Amino acid sequence: MGNVKCDHCHLVFDDDVMIKDNELNFCCKGCQGVYHLLKSDGLDSFYDKLGNKTISPPLDVHDDVIRFDTKSFEDTFVKNTEDDYKQIDLIIEGIHCAACIWLNEKVLYNTNGIISADINFSNNKAKIIWNDEKIKLSEIILKIRSIGYNAYAYDATVADEKAVKSKRDYFIRMMVAIFASMNIMMLSVAKYTGFFTGIEDEIKTYIHLGEFILATPVLFYSGWIFYKGAYFGLKNKILNMDFLVSSGATLTYIYSLYILFGGKGESYFDSVTMIITFVLVGKYLEVLGKKSAVDTLDKIKSTIPLEATIVENGVKKTLALNNINVGDIVEIRSGEKVCIDGRIISGEGSFDESSLTGESIPIYKQKNDLLYSGTINNDSLIRYEVTKSYQDSTLNSIVTLLEDSLSSKPEIEYKANEISKGFTVSILTLSLLTFLIWYFFGIDLGFDYDGASSFEKSFIVAISVIVIACPCALALATPIASLIGISELAKKGLLFKEAKFVETFAKADTLVLDKTGTITKGELKVKKMRIMDKNIHKLNLLYSLLDASTHPISQSIKRELLKKYDLTLKDLESVKNIQAKGMIAKYKNVDDKLFHIVGGNLELMKENNIHYNFDSLNSVYLFAINKRVIATFELADEIKEDAKELVLDAQNNGLDVIMLTGDNNSVASAVASKVGIKNYVSNIDPIGKADYIKKLRDEGKVVVMAGDGINDSVALASSNVSVAMGNSADITISVSDVVLLNNSLKSLKQAFKISRRTYKFIKQNLFISLFYNLVTIPLAMAGLVIPLVAALSMSLSSLLVVANSMRIKIKD
Amino acid sequence: MINDTLLMMLIVGLIVSFAILGMFIWGAKDGQFDDGDKMMDGLLFDSTDDLNDAVKKEEKIEESKKGQKKSESPE
Repeated sequence: MGNVKCDHCHLVFDDDVMIKDNELNFCCKGCQGVYHLLKSDGLDSFYDKLGNKTISPPLDVHDDVIRFDTKSFEDTFVKNTEDDYKQIDLIIEGIHCAACIWLNEKVLYNTNGIISADINFSNNKAKIIWNDEKIKLSEIILKIRSIGYNAYAYDATVADEKAVKSKRDYFIRMMVAIFASMNIMMLSVAKYTGFFTGIEDEIKTYIHLGEFILATPVLFYSGWIFYKGAYFGLKNKILNMDFLVSSGATLTYIYSLYILFGGKGESYFDSVTMIITFVLVGKYLEVLGKKSAVDTLDKIKSTIPLEATIVENGVKKTLALNNINVGDIVEIRSGEKVCIDGRIISGEGSFDESSLTGESIPIYKQKNDLLYSGTINNDSLIRYEVTKSYQDSTLNSIVTLLEDSLSSKPEIEYKANEISKGFTVSILTLSLLTFLIWYFFGIDLGFDYDGASSFEKSFIVAISVIVIACPCALALATPIASLIGISELAKKGLLFKEAKFVETFAKADTLVLDKTGTITKGELKVKKMRIMDKNIHKLNLLYSLLDASTHPISQSIKRELLKKYDLTLKDLESVKNIQAKGMIAKYKNVDDKLFHIVGGNLELMKENNIHYNFDSLNSVYLFAINKRVIATFELADEIKEDAKELVLDAQNNGLDVIMLTGDNNSVASAVASKVGIKNYVSNIDPIGKADYIKKLRDEGKVVVMAGDGINDSVALASSNVSVAMGNSADITISVSDVVLLNNSLKSLKQAFKISRRTYKFIKQNLFISLFYNLVTIPLAMAGLVIPLVAALSMSLSSLLVVANSMRIKIKD
Repeated sequence: MINDTLLMMLIVGLIVSFAILGMFIWGAKDGQFDDGDKMMDGLLFDSTDDLNDAVKKEEKIEESKKGQKKSESPE
C-alpha cells in the first residue's frame, strides 16, 4: 500500500489505482501508451531531462482531426511560404518545462514531411512549416496528441508579429545601452580617481575619447526612441518626458564634445548613457507587458470553435461560423462550446455559464430558453435556432471589447510628466538667457579659463545650467519610489505589473468589487449537515453516489463527508443523472437485497414520491435510501473572512465601495449587508459591468476594480486599475494590472496602504529634485559652479532621491 | 611611453568588446533571445546527442530548401 509515482507523468497516486506493467506503474492508459511510444522511438532520454518535475497526463481528446484538413480551416489559419510549403501557428497545450519542448520539437523534426517546428517556451506558441504533399495537417496534430499534448490553431495576427518585432528591437537597444554604461562606469572610476589624485591632461583626453566612443551609439541608437517620442510629442504640441530626456542628453553630449575637442573642464558622457539606459529599461518592461497581453488574447481566441454543425431539412452539415445565418438550426453535443447565440428548440440539459456569470453551478435549460455563446453544454444533445449572427454573439462581442480596451487602456499621467512640461521650457529659457546676458553684458563673476573667448565662456556657462538641471533626479523621482513600493507590495503577495499603477492606486476614490470569487470564496460549502442514520454502509452508498457526479454540490459534500468518516466506494447500478435536480441509482448488496438510492434537491424527492419538509434559503441536498431520507445538507457560498475589514478600511479612507454581481437581487443584498457595502448592482452582465465602470470614469472617478472571472475581464480592462485574484482565469489575470497572489482581501487593504505611502514619497522626491534645482541653477547661471561641484552635485541629487525612496521600506 | 600603452589598451579593449556586442546583436536579430525561458533551459541540453540533433535540424531545413528548388527548375 502507499503512494506510488506514475512513471510517465510523475504524479503520485494510491498504489491501488495504478496500472501495473512489469516493474512500471502508470496512472492511466494514456501515460502507459506514451511511455512505450517514447521508449520504442528511442526518446526515453525525455525522462532524464524531465528529472523530478511532473507533467499532466495525456489529454483524452476525441474531437475530429478531419476538420484540420477542411477548406475553411485552411483559409483561416494556413499560410503558404515562399518555398511553396505550408505554415501554421499553433498553441500547444500541456507544456510544463523545457523537456516538453524538447520532446515536441524532436518528434516533429523526426517526422517525414515537417520542414521546421519551433516552439516558444514562454507562450507555448509553435510555428510549423510542412510539405503538404508528404503529410497532412491532421496527421501532424495526431502526432502531437500521440505523445500526450494537444494543439490548437490560432491566427497569428499582424499585432502579434509587431509585438515580437518591437520587443526584439527594444531588447537590442537596451542591451547596447547597458553594455556601454557598464564600460563607461569603468572609465569613470579612473577619471574620478584622477580628480582627487591628479591626472595628466593627455590621459584624461584618452578617457574622454573612450567615453565618447561608447556614448555615441547609446545616444543615437538606443536613445532614438526618445527622439522619436519627443518628435511626436512636439507634433501634437506636447513637451513630454521624452523631450526632456532627449534634449537634456543631447545638450550634455554636445557640451562634452566641446570639452573633448579642446575645451577645459569635465565631460559628462557618463551621465548621457546613464539617463538613456535607466529610462530605456523602464520602457522595455512596458513593452514586455503589452506582448504578454497579446499572447493571452490569442489563447482565448483559439478556444473558440470555427465551425458548427447545422441541420437543414434533416441533413447535417458543417459550416464556418461566419456563414451561419439567423434562423439556422444548430446542433451541439455534450461537452461542446456554444459558439453562436440562440434559442433551444429541442433537448434539455445543464449549461456551464461560469465564463459569463462567474457562477460555478450549472444552469438547467430547456425548450425556448436562450443560449449564450461561450457557455458549455455539459451533458446532452441540443438543437437550437440561431438568433444572433456570429459577430453580434456574446462571446465574439466580449473578445472584440477586450481587444478595444487593451489598446485604449486609460493612460495614467505621471506627476513628473506634468512637471516636466514647465520644467523643460524654463530650463531652456534660463540657459538661453544666461548665454545672452553673459555674452552681451560680459558679466564675469567666477572662474577664469585662460584664453577662452567671451563667446566660449558664455557658452560653457549656459551649458552648465542645462547640465546641472539635467533631469536625472527628476526622471528618477517617480520610478525609483514606485520600484521600491512595488517590491514591498510583492512581499505582501501583490504583483503590480507596472510601476505607474501604484500612483493610481493611491489616488483612487472608488473601489468596485465583484461578488462571486472576490468577496465570497466562489465555492459552495456545506453549512449544515444532518445525518439521521449513521450506519456506515448507508453512508458508503451516499459517498458512491456523490463520487459519480462532477457537480460542485456533490464534490463539496463529498469532501465534507470524507473529513468525518472513513468511507469506501461501492459499485452502484444504473446511475442516472437527472438534470439540475440530482441523481438516482440502485445497489444490490451481498444478500441480493436491492436499494433505491436518491440524492438531490427537494424537487427530485417529490418526483420520487418522497415527502420531506425542509425550508432553507440555501441550496439543499437530500439523500434517501428506499424512500427514507437519511441525511440533509445545506450549502452556501462563504464570504471571505477579511471582506468586511477591507470594506470598512476603504470607507474610512474616503473610498466609495460598490459591488457588482451577475447574481440575483436577494443574494446580492444579503452579501452586501453582511460586509457593509451600501451600493450594489445585481443582475448585471459582463458588458453591463464594463459600461458601469465607464460611467463612473466619465464622472471623473478613479476606479479600482477587483474581480476574478472571464465575466469581469471587460470591466477590469476598462477600469483605471484592475485587480485580479490569483486563482482567476488566464485572461482575467492578463488584462489586470495587479494580481493578488494569495487571494486574500487583506492584501488588497495593504495595497491601498502601501500605495498611499509610496505616493507620498514620490511627491517628496519631486520636491527634493526641484528644490535642488532651485538652489543650483542660480549658482550655475552666475558661473559659480566649478566642474568638480557640477560632477558631484549631479550624482548627489540622484542619491538623495534614491535614499529618500528607501525610507518607504522602514516602518511597516 | 606608459601613456601610449594605456591608449593602446583602451583601443584594443573597445574593439574586442564592440566585436562581442556585434555578435550578440547578430544573435538577437536572428531571434535567439526572443524566448527567454527556452534560452535559459536550452543550456541544460548540451549532450552530444542534442548537439547532433541541432545540426541535423539545420541540415534538414537546408535540404528541403534545395530539394524544392530542384523540383521547380525543370518546369
